Amino acid sequence: MSGMLDEYDVIVCGAGHAGCEAALAAARMGARTLVVSGNIDTIAAMSCNPAIGGVAKGQIVREIDALGGEMAVNADVSGIQFRLLNASKGPAVQSPRAQCDKKVYALRMKHVLELQENLSIFQATVTGLIFKAGKVAGCRTNLDVEFFGKSVVVTTGTFLRGLMHIGKNKNEGGRMGDFSAQTLSSSFLEAGIELERLKTGTPPRLLGRTIDFSQLEEQKGDERPSLFGFYDTRGEKDLFHVEQRGERLAGWKPGTDQVSCWITYTSADTQRIVNENLHLSAMYGGEIEGTGPRYCPSIEDKFVRFANKTRHMLFLEPEGRNTDEYYVNGLSTSLPFAAQLEMLRSIEGLEAVHLLRPAYAVEYDFAPPTQLFSHLESKKVENLFFAGQINGTSGYEEAACQGLVAGVNAVLKVRGEEPMVLKRHDGYIGVLIDDLVTKGTREPYRMFTSRAEYRLLFNHGSAELRMLDHASKHGLVSDERLARMKRKKEDVEKWIHWLEVNRMGHDSWATIVRRGVGKDELPEELRSLEASTLEQVLYRVKYKGYLERETRQIEKLKDVEKIKIPADFDYSKLKGLRNESVVKLTETQPATLAQASRISGVNPSDISILMIALR
Amino acid sequence: MENTDTVAALATPAGESAIAMIRVTGGLCEQIANDAFGLAKRPAPRHASHGSYRSASKEVLDDVVYTFFSGPKSYTGEDVLEICCHGNPLIATRVLEDLLERGCRQSEPGEFTRRAFLNGRMDLTQAEAVMELIQARSDRGIRVANNQLRGHFGKQLEQLKQRLLATVATVEAYIDFPDEDLPPERKEAEIEAIRAVLTFCSRIIDSGKYAAFLRDGVKTLILGEPNAGKSSLMNCLLGFERAIVSEEPGTTRDFIRERVIVDGHCLQLMDTAGLREAESGIERQGIQKTVELSEEADLFLLVLDGTLPSPALPDSVAKRITAKNCIVVRNKSDLGERHPLSEQLCGLEQLSMAAISGEGLLELRERIVKMIDAHLAHDRDDLILVNARHSAALKELAECLASAIRNFEAGEPAEFVASELRGAIEAIGRVLGRIDNEDVLDVLFSSFCIGK
Ligand SMILES: Cc1cc2nc3c(=O)[nH]c(=O)nc-3n(C[C@H](O)[C@H](O)[C@H](O)COP(=O)(O)OP(=O)(O)OC[C@H]3O[C@@H](n4cnc5c(N)ncnc54)[C@H](O)[C@@H]3O)c2cc1C
Ligand SMILES: Nc1nc2c(ncn2[C@@H]2O[C@H](COP(=O)(O)OP(=O)(O)O)[C@@H](O)[C@H]2O)c(=O)[nH]1
Repeated sequence: MSGMLDEYDVIVCGAGHAGCEAALAAARMGARTLVVSGNIDTIAAMSCNPAIGGVAKGQIVREIDALGGEMAVNADVSGIQFRLLNASKGPAVQSPRAQCDKKVYALRMKHVLELQENLSIFQATVTGLIFKAGKVAGCRTNLDVEFFGKSVVVTTGTFLRGLMHIGKNKNEGGRMGDFSAQTLSSSFLEAGIELERLKTGTPPRLLGRTIDFSQLEEQKGDERPSLFGFYDTRGEKDLFHVEQRGERLAGWKPGTDQVSCWITYTSADTQRIVNENLHLSAMYGGEIEGTGPRYCPSIEDKFVRFANKTRHMLFLEPEGRNTDEYYVNGLSTSLPFAAQLEMLRSIEGLEAVHLLRPAYAVEYDFAPPTQLFSHLESKKVENLFFAGQINGTSGYEEAACQGLVAGVNAVLKVRGEEPMVLKRHDGYIGVLIDDLVTKGTREPYRMFTSRAEYRLLFNHGSAELRMLDHASKHGLVSDERLARMKRKKEDVEKWIHWLEVNRMGHDSWATIVRRGVGKDELPEELRSLEASTLEQVLYRVKYKGYLERETRQIEKLKDVEKIKIPADFDYSKLKGLRNESVVKLTETQPATLAQASRISGVNPSDISILMIALR
Repeated sequence: MENTDTVAALATPAGESAIAMIRVTGGLCEQIANDAFGLAKRPAPRHASHGSYRSASKEVLDDVVYTFFSGPKSYTGEDVLEICCHGNPLIATRVLEDLLERGCRQSEPGEFTRRAFLNGRMDLTQAEAVMELIQARSDRGIRVANNQLRGHFGKQLEQLKQRLLATVATVEAYIDFPDEDLPPERKEAEIEAIRAVLTFCSRIIDSGKYAAFLRDGVKTLILGEPNAGKSSLMNCLLGFERAIVSEEPGTTRDFIRERVIVDGHCLQLMDTAGLREAESGIERQGIQKTVELSEEADLFLLVLDGTLPSPALPDSVAKRITAKNCIVVRNKSDLGERHPLSEQLCGLEQLSMAAISGEGLLELRERIVKMIDAHLAHDRDDLILVNARHSAALKELAECLASAIRNFEAGEPAEFVASELRGAIEAIGRVLGRIDNEDVLDVLFSSFCIGK
């Protein structure tokens, strides 16, 4: 047993959603890992809404699961309401979403971390990084304890110089009730890593017993819950290892005994109150310098920018089974407390509501992600990795998947192995990271299905098939599960072929499937397949034409994807390249020719020149 | 890296020049040469030959000089075909369009050199030198194109893009934000919106007779009695002897087509047999043909012998003629004019000239241009701008929209409709510059109140 202060392979700073996945991935790969977090009672805290998944995000969670991450199972176990979004559309854009019990989610994740072999947890605030010869070597803490590590993953979320606004009121902190990391930023600046400001916000929390639910529309969960985890490929050993210790932390079977959300609307009075108080809003009063997301407007924004829309829908979402706290989805605001209360009480069902925690906006430093390689290592400082909201993203799922990728790559780096790079055609995680490192972001980046050019191939049920190679190459899932994943992939391919070549009457089975066929009309052999496998077979056969078109596009790009650009490539020496392109390419340092071609302002002739030079 | 596709490009600068060279490289070259020039076997390499270039639809586009180079002993190391046609931009464009129709792809700037380099036909310094040139030229090309896109056609395309983005944003909004407070989804409205974009797109394709002008130029019919000087006028416009000129009435039996560029407009001149009651059977056929041609003509040049009384036009021809599409050319002004115009012709535009000496030709050209500008071409830009790349892109755009509508109507899920719409966005991006996903999101978030 090595000492707590001996050098680690991987140190993770911050145990939010990114940090947890990073730490677990590293430790599960066998690396000696330490996670340092400012307050270990808030490990995996859900700072904002009590939900995991949703359109595109649900697919990400399933991809995380396929890569051996924890988020999916954690959400299934702590889920209190499950809904499959877009159920009326095609499989590619259907997405699972779960309302989670906030406390259970966080507690279980903490427990998983605690039980993880090779992983140590320590409560302290990281105050600075230790650099040695252009590389990161460890971190300093507020307790004057220093830790040394061969690689460091930074996952500090919204905490860097976090500043919260409620009207003119200001508090320092990464989220309400939490601290703000004031000194870590300067450590980055010192190392030449640039920082910029972003902002995001969160709505008020209300006391349930002061809400008049009788007036509100109820939104129930699906009768048959769609879970995030792939349980068809999991054996006993892969399942619920926390629960199996007999601790019964989440004492119910995922999907049973679901709770409801409630729908209400703002009123004409709400609109009037918002308009009258606009000048007091932190956003509109000019208190905030950071850029907020377009897709997550505050209620001020909604009334100002869509003035002709007189009412806005709000969801009241329970934060857990053992709490009476409700989250008001749709009512982000940075109005002062008094205006918030007045506004809330103008809403149907909330006439006598008690406000537990006011809404607030938070501004924080982020490190523009174009400073990272596709494997999330800093271009400026070797062995230093970044993941999560500090990279300019927003959302638990977006953070978690980066954490996983950064954790894996931190280990690979220490081992001197080639990094794991998820490609745009692998899935949403690939799209997310490529967008970040290639284009950067000017607002908190959230995933949408429309960001993916191969969306039709990214149906949530195929996540294991798409991630199989990465999971297998880096040993991210148990051998037993890997074998099952492989079998599933083989089965899918085998049965697609079978349907193409076998006939019933005149038509091939594939034709019959395309025309539409009930499950019980399928041949016996198929019906006995695992439901999740059959689903993939049928989807791929039914929409073969479309899927093949996307596959062809991928194949076409693969050649350019293979052409690597050395990290120290000097673009200014290239004859014929336009100055604008030299600047853009030098800034972004694309890893492959394909990535270079996605940089805006770099045109095809630049790519031709580059291709020639790279031969 | 393997290049299996065949690409084509205009190798000489765009615009009017003495000759225009089009270069093709890739596996399809041999087949194209055989087909376009009616050859029975692989063309002899490195040998310049004359030939009529026939389009895939078997129409002669131009008399050209072509040279075939057999890979690997060629510029790119692949089979290469060079086609030199008359330096009229419309002709070059039509040849290029035809090549695209035959399965070639428009090459990217520098792609020939890239292939040459990758196939080991060029060393790095050579390649770099060529690329530098190409870069400079493509920059100039972009500047020229940008200037043109400020014109009317450019504005229409921009409007098309905006409408397309709005439609795509709506479809995407319902995919990405099913749980939001959006107005109820109305499939029919979305289909209607796509159809409106398609109509708009088709209108651009058809507008100002864009497609027909592109293919043929302004169809200009030269009419008149035998011996009025039709052939002489045609030769005069063409600047060289082409039609047979003879004293004997009715020698221009078959009609003759020639293309001529008049101040940027392409005219397809059609010289016809005379309009008089014919005696011989062959001649009668010729006259019948004249009547047929007058049905499809855009512009009429009615040639009169100024020394003779105006002839009466056959009804079938007269009813096609208006003050907006006909110029009366009172020929043989050198001999003096003795007869006023008949009542039938009085309201028409007229001028006197002598085809034999060319006197009055400049004025005639000016009048022609004026008439085309005023009544025939809706906008000059249409004619300048529409090149093979644009027209291929617009066609693809229209196809994508049509399949999006089909999908929607067949009840396919929205993401498959969106998949077609993405094709449409890509197509218009090829004309106006790549459209980033961010642009769609911008439209989406500014048109819908989305967010929790
Ligand atoms: C006010 C607010 C509103 C939000 N609104 C939305 C929203 O509307 N929609 C949405 O999708 N997402 C929203 N989020 C974002 C969502 O909570 C985050 O995207 C997600 O939690 C990011 O995960 P992370 O792991 O990067 O960071 P966090 O979850 O923020 O975790 C950071 C962790 O690092 C620790 N830490 C920070 N600094 C230090 C340090 N110096 N030393 C040691 N430990 C440190 C913290 O204690 C914490 O555990 C909001 C977040 C906040 C705070
Ligand atoms: N004097 C004179 N003779 C002309 C003029 N134009 C044509 N001709 C003559 O008229 C005759 C008939 O000309 P042609 O072009 O063959 O007439 P077409 O039958 O209408 O095609 C020829 O002998 C020409 O030389 C002209 O402007 N002046």
